[in-house]
Amino acid sequence: MDPFTTELKARIIESLRLEDTTPEQIDDDAPLFGEGLGLDSIDALELVAMLENQYHVVIKDLEVGRPAFQSVRALAAFIQAKRAS
Amino acid sequence: MDNLIIAAASRVSEADLPMARLGKRFGRLDLASQLVLLAVEMLGIDFDTQRRDRVGICLAARAGSLATDLEFWRGRDAVGGPSPTLFAYTLPSMAIGEIAIRHRLTGPNLCVVGSDVVLAGAVDWLRRGEAEACVCVACEVVTPALAGLIGVPPVATAAAVYVQRGGVGLRVWEENDRDIASLCAVLCGHNGRN
Repeated sequence: MDPFTTELKARIIESLRLEDTTPEQIDDDAPLFGEGLGLDSIDALELVAMLENQYHVVIKDLEVGRPAFQSVRALAAFIQAKRAS
Repeated sequence: MDNLIIAAASRVSEADLPMARLGKRFGRLDLASQLVLLAVEMLGIDFDTQRRDRVGICLAARAGSLATDLEFWRGRDAVGGPSPTLFAYTLPSMAIGEIAIRHRLTGPNLCVVGSDVVLAGAVDWLRRGEAEACVCVACEVVTPALAGLIGVPPVATAAAVYVQRGGVGLRVWEENDRDIASLCAVLCGHNGRN
């Protein structure tokens, strides 16, 4: 597992206070919302805040950011693309 | 009509929370919601045997959401501001939503801040036939930070009773059963459940 993805998973677990969950238990390609990690709309706001605080990536419109929230892999790619631009 | 029966009772405190295993999202909840959910869990009711649209929820939030309000307010000084999740829990009625989601209950609901009068509301629903049963919870959370501000001792407890029309249970509901916490103190043993 690449270090950035592992770090991202750890930050997701910490910011969303996911109990009894480790980075290894989160599938890179599993959906973050609904099935998979089972996140909801409140978690989405917490994720947006975490991205801004930890990675200085700003998502002003959740609809625009929706593709990034498909999975951890998609979110990691989104962050890295934003940082590179 | 049928007697109103107190089918189960429970009471929990903050000390019970570390042992609670109520799913990976439990850690997201504020302290009041955690206590309320645990108290309902401790009732031991199998909601699969109930008509979920006929089960009401009553919550007496004695201190409202003041403890979470204060935590949110103090979060203004944190990097990036207060947690968006915490904002949701600045609604005193949020714990009702958590109960409804966890147990998929869609009956009537009522939240009262600052008192313990919700049991009367549940009795009204049951007598009028608007519900067959009702989860009634009284919660009081005064964190040490809040206690210092308002000059009362810290407390973090929740007490719950399950009242239903007819059937069997702990005992028949009586007219002077108004205070959930007092009722639970009488009905519950040392393990907090009866």
